[in-house]
Amino acid sequence: MNRAVLILIIALMGCALMLVTSQQKTRMLFAEKNRLELQERRLNLEYLRLEYEQRDLSKSSRIIDLAQKQLHMSEPKQDKRKYFKVQE
Amino acid sequence: MKSSPATSASSLVLRLPMWRSRMVLFLMFMGFVALLGRAFWIQGPGNSFYEQKGKRVERFEILPAVRGKILDRNGIILATSLEAKTVIAYPETFPADLPATKLQALAKLLEMNEKDIRKKITESKSQIYLKRQVEPKVAKLIKELDIPGISMTSEYRRYYPEAESMAHIVGFTDVVEKGIDGMEKEHDATLEGKAGQRRVIIDRLGRVVEDLGDYQAPRNGQDLVLSIDSKIQDLAFKEVKAAVLLHHAKAGGAVVLDAQTGEVLALANWPSYDPNHRTNLTGEQLRNRVLTDTFEPGSTMKPFTIALSLDKGKITPNTPFEIGHLQIGNKVITDTHSYSVLTVSQIIQKSSNIGTSRIALQLQPEDMWGMFTSVGFGQAPKIGFPGAVSGRLRPYEKWGKLDQATMSFGYGISVSLFQLAHAYTIFARDGELTPISMRKLDSRPVGTKVISAKTAAEVRSMLELVTLEGGTAPKAAVEGYRVGGKTGTAHKSMGKSGYSGNKYDGFFSGIAPMSAPRIVVAVIIDEPTTGGYYGGDTAAPVFSKVVSGALKVLNVQPDNNLKDLVMNSDNSLAQKVALKQ
Repeated sequence: MNRAVLILIIALMGCALMLVTSQQKTRMLFAEKNRLELQERRLNLEYLRLEYEQRDLSKSSRIIDLAQKQLHMSEPKQDKRKYFKVQE
Repeated sequence: MKSSPATSASSLVLRLPMWRSRMVLFLMFMGFVALLGRAFWIQGPGNSFYEQKGKRVERFEILPAVRGKILDRNGIILATSLEAKTVIAYPETFPADLPATKLQALAKLLEMNEKDIRKKITESKSQIYLKRQVEPKVAKLIKELDIPGISMTSEYRRYYPEAESMAHIVGFTDVVEKGIDGMEKEHDATLEGKAGQRRVIIDRLGRVVEDLGDYQAPRNGQDLVLSIDSKIQDLAFKEVKAAVLLHHAKAGGAVVLDAQTGEVLALANWPSYDPNHRTNLTGEQLRNRVLTDTFEPGSTMKPFTIALSLDKGKITPNTPFEIGHLQIGNKVITDTHSYSVLTVSQIIQKSSNIGTSRIALQLQPEDMWGMFTSVGFGQAPKIGFPGAVSGRLRPYEKWGKLDQATMSFGYGISVSLFQLAHAYTIFARDGELTPISMRKLDSRPVGTKVISAKTAAEVRSMLELVTLEGGTAPKAAVEGYRVGGKTGTAHKSMGKSGYSGNKYDGFFSGIAPMSAPRIVVAVIIDEPTTGGYYGGDTAAPVFSKVVSGALKVLNVQPDNNLKDLVMNSDNSLAQKVALKQ
């Protein structure tokens, strides 16, 4: 009888310790999850910003302007254009 | 072991009285009772102190949501939200003896006056917003200044990469990202995100370690895809602006519609504004004239009366009309040149007011009213845009003979440029009026039949004559493409005092390419003062440039004089490119 009680007491203490450990692990994992979520949000914001910058730099009006002013390019006249049908 | 004499001596054994041991037992019992009582007290009524302590590690968090983007038909960004910072000052901790150099640096970064900052700091508030929507780069520099009592929180700011060319379509939001104008306002409910929230526990390092429930996920706003093509829009905007400056005009506008689907490809106004920097804006800049201003459309109305008469079988394109002199009551109808006889086609080509009036006077006012109504005049376009106006079309019962004649060439009726462009889709889409959309469509919508396909084709042929030699708008011609349209030049209405003698509106509304209509373009130049005032001189060149650019953007094959231009598919270059595709 005493032996059974002793085993149960030890098991109970083991469970109690494991509960504390798992609680601690949960909290650490939760903190990690939260950190990653924040990082995800930061990266998303960064992506939005880069996407905007790319858009701003690749605006057709800006490219036409740069081509005309810096590279002195101009649109070909109609008689210099050639059209052809591409086979499907 | 030898026992000590003192303990073994029986005479020394103390005989304690019973009450003393009971007393100890009682005290110990009372001690436990006191502990139990305290435990109950802490668990029950007296727990507010510990609750307070507990709240220090509990935190309520707002989970921010991002407002949706606005995109053009090709997925190009027209409006997006980026992170920005709000700079807050706490007067209690802000040092009164802050070095002048630091304050100067702060003032410069915030684009504020040093005195203003000092003044704000002395306000008796716990926290003061110094500036909202500060760019992250600037915010980083402010942080590096390391001034106590200056803190920053995150928020979003709306950015518009297309700036002034797209301002009237996209609109803008206020500082809390609420849509104020344009599509930002019209679709505010779907664009707007919904912030989430949660209650969490933080540990002593400030890390979130446990969720206490009450979790509501943030919902980001939905993206909005418009029908606009930003390349065509940019082109239309540039050309309208250039024409307004060239003719020293008051304003200008242009609309480009997809003739088959009714999608709005471009809608440009000048004057405009940059939605990224909205200070000192005037109503003139903010007005989306294409949709909100009405005008008397002048000769651009003529094709509708003539189409009605053709449809009713009263005339054919070759029916001759004696032009001569026309007087209705005491009012004389005039033309810019005098003609003796013109066919119906020539009436359009030369833009004869007398000829159109003679055709109109053969029609019933009710039928003309029905025609104007069925192409959308007198009703606000169902386009889903704030501020679109209906224009003015009086009921036919109130028309006299003179009204009927003048309305046929665009006086006594007012429309917006948008309505005019929309109405022209009947000629482009074989007699069907196409529903209009500001959002990208996946399929060609069903139109409403207004005139027969035969009539539409006949009117198209007449409109093409206008852009050829002998017409009123050879400047509308486009190299490589067959185009058609109608000029309009209207004296501006001055309200009750009649018409202005020297203020005009110049218009051009047309279709391209004629072999298979793809776009409808309408242009207005308001009050041109130099370089001519006729629609053929002011608006037609804008039409030509916009059509030329737009058809290339849309990859429409040229349909005019192509014998020398188009190579056969057995050409080696063509084959090479075909292989690469």
